[in-house]
Amino acid sequence: MASVLVNGTRRGQTVVLKGVDPETCMIVFKNHWAQVVKILEKHDPLRSGLGTGGPGLGIGGHGGPRLGAVPSDEASAVQNYVEHMLFLLIEEESGQNGAMGPILEFVVMENVMERLFVWSLRREFTDDMKLDQLKMYEMLIAQARQPLLHHKPILRPLMMLLSSCSGSAGTVVRHSSVETELVLLLNQLCCVLSKDPSVLELFFHTSEDQGAANFLIFSLLIPFIHREGAVGQQARDALLLIMALSAENHVVAKHISENTYFCPVSAAWFCLVLCRPAMLSRQSWEKGWQQVPALIQFLNSLEFCNAVAHPSIRDQLVGYICNGFLVPVLAPALHKLTVEEVMTTTAYLDLFLRSVTEPALLHTFLSFILLHRYDNVHILDTLVSRINTPFQLGTVSLGLFHTLISLYCEDVMLQLILKYLIPCNHMMRSQRQVLKERDCYSVSATKILTLTPSCCSPEIVPPPLRQLDSILWSKGTNGPHSGTMETKQSLSEEDDCGHTCVIGSEIYLDVSYLHYLYDARNGISSCMRACQVWSAPYDGENPPPDEASKRPQDLSRVNPQTLNDLNNANVLELEWDDSYDACPAQAQLEEEQVIPAVILEEPPKHIQELRRTAIMIVKGSYIEESDFQNDVMVYNLVAQKDAQDSAKVKFNHANTQPAVETPGKPLSNPSTQNSESGSPNKKPQMCNGLSISKISTDKENHSKEKDGFQVMARCPEGDDLVTQYEDLIQTLVVEAASPTKSDKDLRSPVVAKEEEEDEVDFSLFSAETPEAEKTPLPFGNKPRIGSRNHTIPFTGPFVSVLLSRLENMLDNSLHVNLLLTGILAQLAAYPQPLLRSFLLNTNMVFQPSVRSLYQVLASLKNQIEQLAATRKDFPELLTAAQQCLLARESSLRGQDLSAAGRTRKNPPVQPKIVVPPNRTEVYATVIFTEFLKELAAIAQEHSILSHHTMEE
Amino acid sequence: VVFLWSSDSEEQGGPGEQKASPVRPSFGKKQLPSIPKNAVPITKPSSPASAAQATNGTHASYGPFYLEYSLLAEFTLVIKQKLPGIYVQPSYRSALMWFGVIFIRHGLYQDGVFKFTVYIPDNYPDGECPRVVFDIPVFHPLVDPVSGELDVRRVFTKWRRNHNHIWQVLMYARTVFYKINTMEPLNPEAAVLYDKDIQLFKSKVVDSVKLCNSHLFDQPKIDDPYAISFSPWNPAVHEEAKEKMFTHKRRPEDLPKGLQVSGLSWVKPGSTQPFSKEEYPLQT
Repeated sequence: MASVLVNGTRRGQTVVLKGVDPETCMIVFKNHWAQVVKILEKHDPLRSGLGTGGPGLGIGGHGGPRLGAVPSDEASAVQNYVEHMLFLLIEEESGQNGAMGPILEFVVMENVMERLFVWSLRREFTDDMKLDQLKMYEMLIAQARQPLLHHKPILRPLMMLLSSCSGSAGTVVRHSSVETELVLLLNQLCCVLSKDPSVLELFFHTSEDQGAANFLIFSLLIPFIHREGAVGQQARDALLLIMALSAENHVVAKHISENTYFCPVSAAWFCLVLCRPAMLSRQSWEKGWQQVPALIQFLNSLEFCNAVAHPSIRDQLVGYICNGFLVPVLAPALHKLTVEEVMTTTAYLDLFLRSVTEPALLHTFLSFILLHRYDNVHILDTLVSRINTPFQLGTVSLGLFHTLISLYCEDVMLQLILKYLIPCNHMMRSQRQVLKERDCYSVSATKILTLTPSCCSPEIVPPPLRQLDSILWSKGTNGPHSGTMETKQSLSEEDDCGHTCVIGSEIYLDVSYLHYLYDARNGISSCMRACQVWSAPYDGENPPPDEASKRPQDLSRVNPQTLNDLNNANVLELEWDDSYDACPAQAQLEEEQVIPAVILEEPPKHIQELRRTAIMIVKGSYIEESDFQNDVMVYNLVAQKDAQDSAKVKFNHANTQPAVETPGKPLSNPSTQNSESGSPNKKPQMCNGLSISKISTDKENHSKEKDGFQVMARCPEGDDLVTQYEDLIQTLVVEAASPTKSDKDLRSPVVAKEEEEDEVDFSLFSAETPEAEKTPLPFGNKPRIGSRNHTIPFTGPFVSVLLSRLENMLDNSLHVNLLLTGILAQLAAYPQPLLRSFLLNTNMVFQPSVRSLYQVLASLKNQIEQLAATRKDFPELLTAAQQCLLARESSLRGQDLSAAGRTRKNPPVQPKIVVPPNRTEVYATVIFTEFLKELAAIAQEHSILSHHTMEE
Repeated sequence: VVFLWSSDSEEQGGPGEQKASPVRPSFGKKQLPSIPKNAVPITKPSSPASAAQATNGTHASYGPFYLEYSLLAEFTLVIKQKLPGIYVQPSYRSALMWFGVIFIRHGLYQDGVFKFTVYIPDNYPDGECPRVVFDIPVFHPLVDPVSGELDVRRVFTKWRRNHNHIWQVLMYARTVFYKINTMEPLNPEAAVLYDKDIQLFKSKVVDSVKLCNSHLFDQPKIDDPYAISFSPWNPAVHEEAKEKMFTHKRRPEDLPKGLQVSGLSWVKPGSTQPFSKEEYPLQT
């Protein structure tokens, strides 16, 4: 009703009022008020002698029946008068020197607003009434020409109105229009507050009068911040204003943190979002989060966290997020039963990290990821191990790590990679001094680029893809560019003497390489700038390599006492969980083939190899990824035997054809879950977050086997068991050849594991007694880790798993390969000599067991060459794939351009043939070639950037 | 006369900045300028940088980049050496040609300011040693009186990659003015005079120094945006640069730091544990 009136009268009267003198207005106002007062007093229970107390009591008491009797004509008369009065008040200019105008003064003196509020209370305080009152204030605050909120007689009834809105929330069914109006009003109040903080004090004082030190506006807003649509947006905007205010105003900050539920509510909201079934739909992150409204809200919540400026609120919110969200909600969610849920949670975590900017919040999130444990396994380890999972979970995990390493956070890099490199065990001792050396002549870049497969050689690729035509290499002083006659003349003399360099020789080059150089330069520079805040240069001297292995590690976090059987089982299971990904094992085999000397292997060697790894499992000493993979193999054998025993080859199937699994459906097999429930082995099964029943359904047998391992793990000198184990393997040898290799190894023949040391010095692995202090290394608190850290070259699970996936590049989807190469390129851009030399220095001599990026790339080149040689359609497909990718690139770029309001110049080249996405090897070959350029460019830029800036 | 020099290049901040780091290798602008669109693409590279590696396709395509970056790396080494009184700057058009100037602060050639050019063979680092040619042939036993070329080869008989660097050549170019060697001279007259009539030698050197300095404000011998050119003191141009030079003191780390730094670290210096710095203690 009010809105109609307001809108109707406003337009009509604006014109009328122009030029009317203030005195007339005042007279009109007073007249109106007199009329209103007449009606008000007529129905005043006190005045009519029936009063039993204050007006408040009158409402609920005797007044009830009588109040209902207010005739509608009287009510609407009041309404009309009030309309006019409000209009006059709004239009009034403030007096000289900011004094109140006469009408306002009258309003204040006569306590008009409060009496009107009481009047509306006295009648039935319906939603409509509230709405009218809210609109009234909204209009006043939004349109009044003089400040009104400074005056208590106006502020007080407003606060009463607001508190009535909050107080009755439980009983009265909220009308959506009331809510809309309420939030609008609150939003306006916040605008006023942010412009004029002095009002803030009044708000608090008024609240105190009400009996509670309550910052009403804030409390009222909280329930709305997670609403969808305009209401939610307004509420959030309003809250952000208050947040900004709280940065400066201690009272507000204190109030928010001590008297409101803002922090728990915000934290709870994260939980809610995560648990909402609708949110868990895969489409949400597949479509891109921009299109999912719920996700946008989610990010809005994060915006608050970023906006929280005052330390007291920040600390509280951070505390709530940590203890109310991360630990109890997110951690279990990362370990849920279905891939679906785990994937979504991982994607959320990624989104969180990308959205959070407030350092304290980032600190909370990162320390959660790096240090928190769930079921005694560090979250980080779980996440790292998931990189190796097939299906989309691996992809999502890769995305998360891309975000993590792009934070330029020392703690993250330390935990993921650097701590494994600090002892310098991965390289030959003599190489330590080479660490900081600069690659003056682009030797590494040259070596990397010579890995370009012949089918992708820049000379073979046809011109449109090659982009060669716009580059000129001018060697001399006299390129066509300079071209002035004077130059030539001034040079002529020297020409005679033969002092100029070669002149005007032109070579056409790959333009794209220039872009890579440019990107590399930017990438390295920003990384170097960011790393200025780091505590150490990580150059092989600081932190000192020798101390790193001796220094007592943080004892408080790792309690050796927690090493019980279950933990060990967890740890083992964590690694073994990768076994369902048969690919790395196969890739491993292929990599060994870089020297394709032995095509057919001799069984004894193979057995030897198995023995070696088996013993290593038994003695609890893993070394490198390669061994890691072989454990998987051994484990597979055991599992296979079980499977055969129980006449079920389910595992075999799952293992060899991981891609067949639909990512959408839960990986856990409900039946096995059930059969397993209650058994102590259930937990270990899930500790990787995925209870993939990959092994076999014969769980009993299986778990016995595992227990056996643990027993042996705890008594390293258990020779009997070792022998038993060898026997077991012996019996399996016959079956061994087929399952692990035959299915997958189409491209590469069976390979012997050609390692330098056929005989491994086992004492190396087992001699050391477990120490008291343990580094929290990759797989939590394995007793063997100390020894690995000291003597055995290991570059850490993250690097291992990345290289292993890279090795498998030809089978990876395009998306995975883009992520992988993106991560590796980002890692390579880090200026720390330890990391740079490990990834990019092709001259570096590493320990034999350490795989380098270069080795993996070389093995990929070989795979590609073989592929190109055997498949007739390869070159044609390659060209088409290049065109597809180019089109993709330019369409992405086109989006950027159109987003920036520009039009794109060149329409993308439409590929003639579309290479089906399942021809991953074709796309992978293109990506591989580009990746080489990217790496080479980074290596080249390092040679001129790193040293320069770091030494300055 | 104030020997303040500046280059023509616009992207150089000014002499002050250049003292600290004579040239900032500017990527993409200086080298490899793009050619007009109508240029005809050549499918086969005409002249690969190194004959030894010419057979390799990737090398043919990327060889120039290797060369360019090798020279840039050399240049950063030069900067690192902070050779006293020597300033060099690669030319705009080719990384194979560097402009330089050398200030002699004491000894026989005191007050000499000699401009020179360094020519680097295009098969660097596998070719001959770079050549140093003075703009004006200085009167010196080891400087060719006609061409102005310094005899560098006597020291770097064979240029060895990884062992020899261009800064060593520059260092040598400076040393010859402090320690005169008359063996197998390129300028026999100077050598003989130095050995037989040091007074006459000295006066000839003084004349030569004067001659060189009198041509200091000449246009650079080679027209190149990055050629080193001198101009008389002009407060409008040089005052600000001088100011910068004295206030800046090549300490970029003194600049307010932290605001634009995007990196994160909660690692306590000396520790290798993440979150060892208790900046935001975890709440429990």
